[in-house]
Amino acid sequence: MEKSALTAENSAELKRQPLVAHGRSISWITQNVSQIVESPTPKWWWIAMLFTAPLALVGLICIVYQISNGVGVWGENHPNGWAWDITNFVFWIGIGHAGTLISAVLFLTRQKWRTSINRAAEAMTLFAVVCAGIFPAIHIGRFWNAYFLAPVPNANGIWPNFRSPLLWDVFAVSTYFTVSVLFWYVGLIPDLATLRDRAKSKIGQLVYGFFALGWRGANRHWRHYEMAYLLLAGLSTPLVLSVHSIVSFDFATSILPGWHTTIFPPYFVAGAIFGGFAMVLTIMLPASLIFPQISDLITRQHVDKMAKIILLTGSIVGYAYLMELFVAWYGANKFESFTFFRARAAFDGQGWYQWSYWIMMFCNVVSPQVFWFKKMRSNYVVVFIVSQFVNVGMWFERFTIIVTSLAQDFLPSSWGHYSPSLTEKLTFAGTFGIFLSLFLLFMRFLPMIAISEVKLVTPEADPHGALNKNH
Amino acid sequence: MSKRIFQHPLESQTGKRYWRSLGQLKDTPEFRGWLQREFPQGASELDGGEVTRRNFLQLMGASVALAGLSLSACRRPLKSLVPFTKGVEWSVPGKALFFSSAMPSRGGALPLVVTTFDGRPTKIEGNPLHPVSKGATNVWAQSSVLDLYDPQRSQNYLFRGEKSNSAAFYQALEALVSGSKEGSSLAFLSDGVPSPTRERLRKDLLLKFPQAKWAVYDPNGSVSEVEAVSIAFGSGYRVVPRLDLADVVLTVDRDFLGVEGDLSAVRDFASRRTVEKSGDAKARMNRLYVVENRYTLTGGMSDHRLRLAAAKAAAFLKMLALEVSSLTGDASLGKMAAELKAPEAKIAPAWAKECAVDLFSRKGKSLVLVGQRQPVAVQVLGFAINAALGSVGKTLEVHKSESKASLGIMALAEHLRKGKTETLIILGGNPVFDAPGDARWLEAQASVQTVIHLSAEVNETSSKATWHVPAAHYLEQWGDSRAADGSYLVVQPMILPLYGGLSEIELLAKVLGTPGEALALVQKTFLEVSNLTGDATAAWATTLRNGFLENSASRQISVNFRSEESQNAVSSAPAILFSENQFELVFVADSKVDDGRFANNGWLQELPDPVTKLTWGNAALISPSTAQRQGVVTGDVLKLTLGGKSVEIPALELPGHADDSISVSVGYGRAEVGSVGQGVGIDVYPLIGTEGLRFSVGVTLAKTGKSIALAITQEHGALEGRGIDLTRQATAQEWAENSEENNPGYFKKMGIDAHAPTNFSLYSHPPLDDVHAWGMAVDLNTCIGCSACMVACQAENNIPIVGKEQVINGREMHWMRMDRYFASEGGDANEPEMVSQPMMCQQCENAPCETVCPVNATVHSEDGINVMAYNRCIGTRYCANNCPFKVRRFNFFDYNQRSITSLYRWNLISPKGMPESLQMQKNPNVTVRMRGVMEKCTFCVQRVQEAKIAAKVSARDKASESPPQVPADAFTSACAQVCPTGAITFGDLRNSKSKIAKLKESQRGYRLLEYLNTENRVWYLARIRNPNPKMPDASRAGSASRAHASAGKHNGGH
Repeated sequence: MEKSALTAENSAELKRQPLVAHGRSISWITQNVSQIVESPTPKWWWIAMLFTAPLALVGLICIVYQISNGVGVWGENHPNGWAWDITNFVFWIGIGHAGTLISAVLFLTRQKWRTSINRAAEAMTLFAVVCAGIFPAIHIGRFWNAYFLAPVPNANGIWPNFRSPLLWDVFAVSTYFTVSVLFWYVGLIPDLATLRDRAKSKIGQLVYGFFALGWRGANRHWRHYEMAYLLLAGLSTPLVLSVHSIVSFDFATSILPGWHTTIFPPYFVAGAIFGGFAMVLTIMLPASLIFPQISDLITRQHVDKMAKIILLTGSIVGYAYLMELFVAWYGANKFESFTFFRARAAFDGQGWYQWSYWIMMFCNVVSPQVFWFKKMRSNYVVVFIVSQFVNVGMWFERFTIIVTSLAQDFLPSSWGHYSPSLTEKLTFAGTFGIFLSLFLLFMRFLPMIAISEVKLVTPEADPHGALNKNH
Repeated sequence: MSKRIFQHPLESQTGKRYWRSLGQLKDTPEFRGWLQREFPQGASELDGGEVTRRNFLQLMGASVALAGLSLSACRRPLKSLVPFTKGVEWSVPGKALFFSSAMPSRGGALPLVVTTFDGRPTKIEGNPLHPVSKGATNVWAQSSVLDLYDPQRSQNYLFRGEKSNSAAFYQALEALVSGSKEGSSLAFLSDGVPSPTRERLRKDLLLKFPQAKWAVYDPNGSVSEVEAVSIAFGSGYRVVPRLDLADVVLTVDRDFLGVEGDLSAVRDFASRRTVEKSGDAKARMNRLYVVENRYTLTGGMSDHRLRLAAAKAAAFLKMLALEVSSLTGDASLGKMAAELKAPEAKIAPAWAKECAVDLFSRKGKSLVLVGQRQPVAVQVLGFAINAALGSVGKTLEVHKSESKASLGIMALAEHLRKGKTETLIILGGNPVFDAPGDARWLEAQASVQTVIHLSAEVNETSSKATWHVPAAHYLEQWGDSRAADGSYLVVQPMILPLYGGLSEIELLAKVLGTPGEALALVQKTFLEVSNLTGDATAAWATTLRNGFLENSASRQISVNFRSEESQNAVSSAPAILFSENQFELVFVADSKVDDGRFANNGWLQELPDPVTKLTWGNAALISPSTAQRQGVVTGDVLKLTLGGKSVEIPALELPGHADDSISVSVGYGRAEVGSVGQGVGIDVYPLIGTEGLRFSVGVTLAKTGKSIALAITQEHGALEGRGIDLTRQATAQEWAENSEENNPGYFKKMGIDAHAPTNFSLYSHPPLDDVHAWGMAVDLNTCIGCSACMVACQAENNIPIVGKEQVINGREMHWMRMDRYFASEGGDANEPEMVSQPMMCQQCENAPCETVCPVNATVHSEDGINVMAYNRCIGTRYCANNCPFKVRRFNFFDYNQRSITSLYRWNLISPKGMPESLQMQKNPNVTVRMRGVMEKCTFCVQRVQEAKIAAKVSARDKASESPPQVPADAFTSACAQVCPTGAITFGDLRNSKSKIAKLKESQRGYRLLEYLNTENRVWYLARIRNPNPKMPDASRAGSASRAHASAGKHNGGH
């Protein structure tokens, strides 16, 4: 948008880029989006599923093995009580943030460009939260007693400990998941009705019909729908901030050097949005290649905007990293300065996990800086590569925070290295299998672009409105 | 186990006298005092005056011992202990009974009190009445109870490896003995553990079979010391150092606080390190000079330490002797020293000189100890120095020795090879594994037709023997022994032999052909030893109850140092050669498996070595600079070649090790051993040439290119500039300058606590308003780091072992660990200070673990214990993460249900369960935890509860004041109870009469990481070092706590 900024003074009326390229009509949109679901299953889909589904299965086998044998099949130890498990949890939950941000925050702030990406982003959120939820559930030693976390007064009158950030997590994540599911589903209803109406098979009519909840597109339906959607957006918005803030409390309220910092909530939220958008791009860019017809809906403009958000949030994260270092130095606490200058940001080769810190620094802070240039933002290859850097960097951010602080804390006698086991690695890989399989299923059976919402941002939807004047 | 029938002594047979004597016993003040100390819970009940079940003490061993005390020697002693289907009045299921016994061990048995639950011994404690123990024990005694229940103990008689039975064995034995031709075809090999009954039987045997040979072999024994003593003072004596009387102690290559010492040495030394006020430091504290090749526990306690190869100790002692002789004007000492052919060594002359001056300045109150591995001449020179310093008879007492002269293993092997011996009876021991190489033992044993091996496990020797006879564990047999102070101890069985084992004396009696149960044999010895004049029954009962015979300790006798003989011995001794660029190899008795006999004990295998922190194996210890020179890092496998024989063993860099020296501990690499000891460590016995020789010069080391992971429990040994926060110390001088009056907060305001602002908690906490407030103090000045507390904790709290692989993964379960740091100002890894610090749950009042547990599984009790509800724990591990001391332990696997070798096998299709015998060891008052739950030190909450219940019962009985309060220091935690130096004190902070209440007010007291506002309930008492300001290395003392951000590399190995 810098071009607009430059010309803002001499051009009173800026020309907006159309959100739907080539002036596609409403029926074109319906046709092209629905076609993805309605056409016979393409070969590539089967091939992709052939990779992701077994991967998911491997993950599930690892989980069964781990639950039946004990957490020991992972690489965790004393002092590293958490490692990949919580890293993966925070990684996935962070990815889940983009969906809600796009669907709720951008909705409330009337960012209309969100319409073509929000459905997929929300689906991604749900699947990411599913993957995220796996880890805290299975990382505990006695999975079968996980219900102790529920605030159910039992015969002994024992309640969960409401002081524990881990309990807050349970509430935060489950609320987030519930609201996200509702939000996504409510948004789907008009499109489900469209698919129902277009369905040729009996099963399709029945299933889509069932989930469309009798949607007829009546005025009354629309009124209720929009109100519900607005309310859910209102409900979700604080969750965007709260979930990752609460996840960050797991660390911030503890007393470990490197965890015990007040900067964590904003830093984690920014990081989550940062990582979430990277994952949206990771999925949307290949999707727009596979389905060329939707490139009129997901345009360069969308990619450009997401790249800018990545640049912004990446810089916030970078600021937070530097501020942590500053405070560690300024605080003059030997334990904290050890964590930051000897364990993490060490240059001397003595830091046990300094490589992880520098990977994080490069991926999260340095790599997004290319997005200052429009040329880079509009180059899908560059954008895709940077997104991958960010995905990797955000994983390493969590790894760095968790493992460096645990491996070397107060008493040098209890320091200990951590290295992941094969089971642990495969479990993580398995969650990618689960995530991608779910996403493939989603692409196959549900409209990956919100048909009704995109239609609303076309000039046809508003014949007398501002959109038409602009174009 | 055969069916046990409880046969209560019949009135007519044992009756009145027995009860009458107990009645007398009951009211003696001494008995009461003993009860108060040992059975505090019961003490209050006893006050009630009524005879209760706790009076079982009077019946201690009643059914067995008293009834069987056959003065007329005609009554068959009862072999049945108490069956629980027909309980007797004093036996309450679930309540512990305590019996005295003793654990036979090298250099003197340990007097014990054994805790038994329903007839199962579960825990060993020291006998508080006996001066050697005073309630303390060591790692071996603590772990011996596990050996008893070892499911892989020998369970059968074996004839040439085939299962046989006792009847067949007795038949064969009779035939062998009867055809022994006055014993000329007989030979015996026993270990060096003192046993008066065995000695008596041996005497009888040699009367009956005058031609029989009797040899004694203990691979870690002290043959050269015996020889040196016989030269210096005459034969039949032994020397007893009096460390409690010595102001200045120099120890040359002798780890008297570790593997070369006993409990009394440790306690006596610690008694001179116990300081209450700053004035005590100068007035009471001894000064310890240590010359050694590797860091030992003794070196860790030193004020001045000189690292020197073992072979060069002679050179140092020579220098010292010359200095001493010039100070005392003792020309003969000078002459003797001059004649000692010692190798060249670069030793700072000032070190030896100032040391000599210091020793001389406390003439008669100084002591020089020389290592048992040193050549006889060097040890003799050591005695000469002591004589010159006037220590003999004062700090170095000479006592009469009980042990008789015997053949050594070299001579026995020689004799066997002549082929005249037809029957060799090996009583315990494992010579096939541990005999010195030059003895060519296998060949010797093969030339005997029948080898009978009595052994508790089927080991290397058993499989080469004709007959293997299962031996009874000491907790299963009658026996006797002598403590380090020479007092007579009775070994009392706690349980019938689990696997029908035979004791040493029973086997000897069979050889003798004399009828007699073990009990009768022991009682006969008892009558001989005690020189009884009065009531034998009562005396025996008293001895059994006390665990030892009163006034039976040996006394010092006046013996003069034999200057002439010593002079001859020194001048005729061969030279010790050690040239530049050579390495010596030092063989060390292992701090855990000893000579290999405890190789199948999981507690010991998993116990970190106090210095190296190595578990499950041994390693070649080398100095960091040697490692650097050789391009070796910890874990690299080295090939050590000596005298044509070689072993491959992993290297371990040990800070403070001498540069031209390599140390290896013996006893590992057992070939035929139970599954626990299988494949653990490397056998270095083949490199040992002859008996008593424990170091050899001229070993070559080569890299093999291989590298293995060592199971070291402490990855990082450097303090990283945190010594001033974690392990606070000061020199005696510094403390004097900052005394209670001058600077009361001196130790409290060190490091980060010096400038941390006052803290407050955001949370409100439930009030800790019980009448009790449990707390602990750990005196770093007396803690030597022996790690007995770790095993005691393991035994008391049912802590599982996890195996080598899991230790490497960092998952050991010890609730209590012994942190060992090496640190020095400037970070020189070759000359560091060693600091040991016991670390257990600090029971923070403001506990970080409690707030983060999502399910309230760890909460605070009103009396201040951070308690764990295992049933509630779901295992998030958040508490462990948030623990600043990392003392919480997580059950990563089902250690109690799965064998340590099959943890990764899929649970749903692999066998589950714990061997029945091991179940018997568990403390019934402590939950056996399952996988997935967190656990940690509970301050022995089961003992706390027991004491509280007793106090409540007593209050109810007396209808006394409420709320009931446990009397001061009425009981203690397992770690505090076992500590031989009294470094750990547990008690009620709210009871002003308790020791802990005073200790926590000590100026030296500080709490760890005070700035975190955790409000710990454990106080550490800062360590005081007592350097000699004139020594060249005086400035090093206490440097571990001054060192700032030292170079991070010196540690026990990464």
